[in-house]
Amino acid sequence: MRAQIELLGVTKRYPNGVEALRNVTVRVYRGEFLAVIGLSGSGKSTLLRCINRLVEPSEGRVYFEGEDVTHLRGEALRRHRQRIGMVFQQFNLIERRSVLENVLVGALGRVPVWRSLLGNFSAELVQEALHNLEIVGLAEKAAEPVRALSGGQKQRVAIARALMQRPQVLLADEPVASLDPATAHSVLRYLEQLNREHGLTIVCSLHFLSLVRRYASRVVALRTGELVFEGAAEEITPERFRHIYGEEAEEVELR
Amino acid sequence: MSLALRIRALLADALLGAYIGAVVYRIVWGQILGGSPPESVTLAEWLGYAGCAGGFALVGQLARCTPGAWLLWRESMRPWQRTVAQHVVWATVVLTIWTGWSVARVSPVEFFSAKGLESAARLFGALLRPELSILDAALLAMLQTIYIALMATLLGLPPALLLGFLAARNLMRAHPVTFALYAVLRVWINFVRSVEPLIWAVIFSVWVGIGPFAGMLAMLLHTVAALAKLYSEQVESIDPGLVEAVESTGAHPIQVVFYGVVPQVLLPFLAFTIYRWDSNVRMATVIGLVGGGGIGTLLMQYQGLARWQEVGMIVLLIAAVVWVMDYLSARIREMLS
Ligand SMILES: Nc1ncnc2c1ncn2[C@@H]1O[C@H](COP(=O)(O)OP(=O)(O)O)[C@@H](O)[C@H]1O
Ligand SMILES: [Mg+2]
Repeated sequence: MRAQIELLGVTKRYPNGVEALRNVTVRVYRGEFLAVIGLSGSGKSTLLRCINRLVEPSEGRVYFEGEDVTHLRGEALRRHRQRIGMVFQQFNLIERRSVLENVLVGALGRVPVWRSLLGNFSAELVQEALHNLEIVGLAEKAAEPVRALSGGQKQRVAIARALMQRPQVLLADEPVASLDPATAHSVLRYLEQLNREHGLTIVCSLHFLSLVRRYASRVVALRTGELVFEGAAEEITPERFRHIYGEEAEEVELR
Repeated sequence: MSLALRIRALLADALLGAYIGAVVYRIVWGQILGGSPPESVTLAEWLGYAGCAGGFALVGQLARCTPGAWLLWRESMRPWQRTVAQHVVWATVVLTIWTGWSVARVSPVEFFSAKGLESAARLFGALLRPELSILDAALLAMLQTIYIALMATLLGLPPALLLGFLAARNLMRAHPVTFALYAVLRVWINFVRSVEPLIWAVIFSVWVGIGPFAGMLAMLLHTVAALAKLYSEQVESIDPGLVEAVESTGAHPIQVVFYGVVPQVLLPFLAFTIYRWDSNVRMATVIGLVGGGGIGTLLMQYQGLARWQEVGMIVLLIAAVVWVMDYLSARIREMLS
């Protein structure tokens, strides 16, 4: 069986010369919960963005469902992005608009441009948005402005926005890095539920190994742009841990 | 030592040398000491300044006792070299202030002359007894001024909005064609902005004739450029995270601007626009002075007739309206933020 996502020998060189990824090959299989770990600056965000092509690889190939998406442009690129949801560490919501309006942003790819400029979303889309808010347990907050929400709630709004894309894959770039531990678990449980019950493939960068062990079915580790580990979370021995995070790092700090 | 730094130091010394030469010859000798340099600058004079520039730079390189030398050899300078360089700087400052005083013809004697004080007292006395009977005419002229300013702001708004986005580096840099457009627009905006509206009014009055329309066009043009600059800077300082999030949904670039950029700039845009209307009212009174219509023109008419009590009335009215506009616009902007 071919993997759902294949990054084959991907290198990303930013215009300033930084090599954020070096010859990285990663396969993501349908329905798995893949964690991406590594120090900050190791290339996790870049790896995720090569999948939905917010970033264009300098070398190598990216396949999605067998289709080469490495250098897509224009309309084809937008169609590719639509099938992949993404959530971010900083939530990236429109703070002054309502929860519902923010969720509807996820449907922009399906709405004619001129209609979306008028803010004119069909009743079905609104219904679907409310349904997605229900999935993340926020249906009763639909009318509230996002800025009135807590961090955990904001991240759940962001998840609902991603669900509006009816995605096959959900990318999560350090989704809980700015949340307290209890809230982090509650957000990750929603991702886990989407993964288990809706069969959504999840690629999630995380900082804490305890979270990785608890939620991820598989782990890849990056170090200065290179893939240095691939396997189950249990296989990360203290020795491998030091290889990923450097000699000085102590596991306790990353629990 | 880097070549760039060396060139910078040489240039600094050369410019300083030429500047000191020109000021001493033209101002100190020509104006203050009563010498008589020729009206036009002769070739010999230009060559003289070039000599000053070269000489000073040369001294800087050899004796290492000039400001330029300080840029290069700051650490290794001897005390006397340092002292000389400092004195050169001080001498330049003194010379510059002396020049400014002379060029502006600052004259305490005239400021405190008996005749002058008497005229001033008459004028201020009249201003303090404003002629109330022209209040209705002044109010009408003031309304005209406010409407001229409003028109310039409203008509300037749509083009300024468009330019605000097209002149934002972060939106335009992706593609060479859009980046070229960005560069052209930046130059245009900076040029239009750097010419005062009063000067634009003079230009437009040749085009459409003296009057409110010329004044309005002048402010309109300046408003477009000034607002476009403010808007584009706001667009450039947005958080790219939201833009990226909207992009990641597969939205069209127009939708990305509408949902990723606009919500972040809407309130600041509104605040800038209100501020601009308020400064346009102030500008409109000034443009009225050169025939742009409204209250400024009325003021010039009474001033020409030396009717100081009427002038006093108008000045008070302008002050009151400007103060109210200032206050209102500040309060509205406060509410927006
Ligand atoms: N847009 C960019 N332009 C230039 N360099 C970048 C850009 N984005 C990331 N980088 C650099 O690429 C490297 C990897 O960054 P990133 O993928 O964000 O790592 P991580 O998410 O693991 O912190 C870092 O050195 C970072 O400074
Ligand atoms: Mg990152």
